[in-house]
Amino acid sequence: MFLHSSRRRGSAAAAGMVALALVAAGCAGSTGGNGTGSGAGGGVDADTLIAYTGQAGDYQINFNPFSPSLIGGPGTIFESLFFFNQVQDVDPVPLLGTEYAWNEDGTVLTITTREDVTWSDGEPFSARDVAFTLDLLADNPSINTVGYVGAAEATDDTHVVVTFPEAAYTDGPQLLGKTFIVPEHIWSSIADPATDTMTEPIGTGPYTLTDFKPQAYTLTANPDYWDGEPAVKNVRYLALSGNQSGADALAAGQVDWQTGPVPDIANVETNYPGYKAITVPLNQMALFTCSNADLGCTGPQTDPAVRKAIFYAMDRTQLNALAFQDTASEMSPGLALMPRDEAYVSNELAEKLAPSSPEAGSAESLLEGAGWAKGSDGIYAKDGQRLAMTVKVVTGWTDYITAVDTMSQQLKAVGIEITAEQVSWNEWADARGQGQFELLIDSLNGGPAADPYYLYAYFLSSENTAPVGEIANPNFARFSDPEVDAALAALKSIDPSDAAARQEFFDVIQSRVAENMPYIPIMTGGTTSEFNTAKFEGWPSEDDLYAFPAVWSRPDDARIFVSLKPVSE
Amino acid sequence: MSYYGRKFAFYLVALWAAVTLNFFIPRLLPGNPVDILMAKLQQRGGSVDPSVRRTYELLLGSDSDESLWSQYLSYWNNMAHGDLGISVSAFPAKVSDVIAQSLPWTIVLVGIATLISFALGVALGIVVGWRRGSWLDSLVPATTVLAAVPYFWLALILVALFSSALHWFPLLGGYDVRLSPGWSWEFISSAAYYGVLPALTIVISSIGGWLLGMRNMMVSTASEDYILTAQAKGLRPGRIMMRYAARNAVLPSVAGFAISLGFVVSGAIVTEQVFSYPGIGSKLLQAVQNNDYALMQGIFLVITVAVLGANLIVDLLYGVIDPRTRARR
Repeated sequence: MFLHSSRRRGSAAAAGMVALALVAAGCAGSTGGNGTGSGAGGGVDADTLIAYTGQAGDYQINFNPFSPSLIGGPGTIFESLFFFNQVQDVDPVPLLGTEYAWNEDGTVLTITTREDVTWSDGEPFSARDVAFTLDLLADNPSINTVGYVGAAEATDDTHVVVTFPEAAYTDGPQLLGKTFIVPEHIWSSIADPATDTMTEPIGTGPYTLTDFKPQAYTLTANPDYWDGEPAVKNVRYLALSGNQSGADALAAGQVDWQTGPVPDIANVETNYPGYKAITVPLNQMALFTCSNADLGCTGPQTDPAVRKAIFYAMDRTQLNALAFQDTASEMSPGLALMPRDEAYVSNELAEKLAPSSPEAGSAESLLEGAGWAKGSDGIYAKDGQRLAMTVKVVTGWTDYITAVDTMSQQLKAVGIEITAEQVSWNEWADARGQGQFELLIDSLNGGPAADPYYLYAYFLSSENTAPVGEIANPNFARFSDPEVDAALAALKSIDPSDAAARQEFFDVIQSRVAENMPYIPIMTGGTTSEFNTAKFEGWPSEDDLYAFPAVWSRPDDARIFVSLKPVSE
Repeated sequence: MSYYGRKFAFYLVALWAAVTLNFFIPRLLPGNPVDILMAKLQQRGGSVDPSVRRTYELLLGSDSDESLWSQYLSYWNNMAHGDLGISVSAFPAKVSDVIAQSLPWTIVLVGIATLISFALGVALGIVVGWRRGSWLDSLVPATTVLAAVPYFWLALILVALFSSALHWFPLLGGYDVRLSPGWSWEFISSAAYYGVLPALTIVISSIGGWLLGMRNMMVSTASEDYILTAQAKGLRPGRIMMRYAARNAVLPSVAGFAISLGFVVSGAIVTEQVFSYPGIGSKLLQAVQNNDYALMQGIFLVITVAVLGANLIVDLLYGVIDPRTRARR
């Protein structure tokens, strides 16, 4: 049973473990924020923050900001030009860049970089480092995770001009906010920037690496940081065996910040004295359907009426209570993230939000309108095919398993049969990519900025799908619609600040999605983080969500570290 | 062919078969490393930008169309050069480095625990077997029950009791991470302190087997004629117990011990999970979850070689100790 714990849902690993963790938590709760001084976290130093990112097993040193297996560094050691808040639609925070501007058709981006910044080895930073980093991406396809195709030129020490072959407004946030600038004087002599592990990272960020051990590494405040030395002097990242250990360490006061569900989320403040929890909705949970018969999907779910009937038959209030500890929130059938993208929700949608209680009548009339008829067993059928489908769900993800089991009861009342099929993580990921499923439960997420465009471009564009049997990424539903494709193409060449011009195309996408429902909306899932407010102050709150408060979210973590202050005793 | 020649030939064939299985079994797993990595990134709110996937394909080289057969040949070729490949889950670290980093922890913890468990189990078995029928017999069901309790459950109970409630031992980890691993007294004492509870759980859960085996052998040996003769000669009971009975009765346990030493390197995945202890078990788990073929093969290879090596040594030793096993029929 330990073999199946996933990082995000590790607490779901095993019922037995959870039960015992509760015992452990109850016993250890009294130690609160002071720590016992004898745990994995070790330190009780007032200005050392101990973070657990969900790392399962030892760290393998790798601070290369372009590597998929890096263990840390983006945001803390290496900085981007700007910080884009993905949970709130606000202006980007200037970091190494101070301002940027697009030309009229979105093909030329001019960036002004900050003066008087030095690398942590004392060398001065200039716009040439920015141009060098962008060229590095362009020259090395194996690190170009942002799909950068422009040409960069540093016109002087503080200005970079990037020219794109076509309108590239939507590449902006990736390039400005998720590309971490590296020093030319070091990286120009690196043979292979994709495989170098950067054991001594030199950056401009608020922290520097001072200690690395496979079981923990420590970042220390950079005294020469351009925005002043951070008040949190050390940040120690622990490697534990998974989220269950993280919850145990949290209960013993040995971890100051972790992200992941804990038992009884509603009462974190009483169960873990000195700690607070925050739940931020960012993942839209949905039943992914293999929806497109033209691309090889088979099963009743290829009929849009079936997908919409499922949508109406769900009892979301009950699901939230039974499966998600009431941490989930409402979701829009147009897939605009609520409440962040509320302004983008189309007026043309019949329902702006998915119904919270079941509408059996709508579901039944949809099915009957599409030629389905109820059989003697109470389940609909058409042409001898029963309306029965399987939902693939990863073993050990107990919240999703509970959700599917609950849903199967709810849908049965309407005459639709769904059965949960638990498979291993690897098998599930493979089936999802290849389209070897009828339904599966997962969540829609993505995007470097608070803009629904990215989710639509990733999950709905025909470019990102493939016939069943070939890997689709990430349009797993195999959704393909010429109107949506055209709208996405049009959005690419509209300045994101021109909200009125963009809305027309968002309207098209949302109404097509709500009509076809390739991803059947369930609810918006919350990401819950727990942090130590007795030791540090300045954490993000519902009122001031200046960064996404998940400990594994880079570079948001760095924004939070520099905003925190130790609580003076 | 001599006895030893036959033995070596047999072990060579066994090694070839094991290494070949090592190659094929991981490849039967569904999925591929790139998609697992993508799914994992997405799970953690990472970017699912389609260009990311293309990047990783290039990086991890999983778009090759090499046939399974040529992969198999290059696998043997690399292994002949001591090259276990590059780990995908800890990219771009070498598999040998990943294993070297975690193996010592497992060998020391599980090795010492196995040693203690064996020594204690056999010693208790001798006494219990010799004094059969006394109150000491109740040790047998008591330890067997502990061995029968699911290991993770026992470990969690001990953690809840000794770490969470009493604070006698640390909850998690292999040492105080503020210290630097090395030959300093501070580090070694910290590692020993952190290792007590995990070792204790392994000892408690495995001692019953050794005790039961040894006790039963003692009981049957004690009814042999030479024991009666020794008693008739008027030797001290302690001498008869140790020199006459125990020495003969311990042979099967020694064989079992050598084999269990071979399994030490495969570690205790559950122990490492419960205690967040650094070691090879969590690496194996990581390899399986990420379809990291090279790392899986590397770890399986180490396990295979250790088990085969331990068996070979036992076989050879048995040939020395007991000449009957050398005789050809």
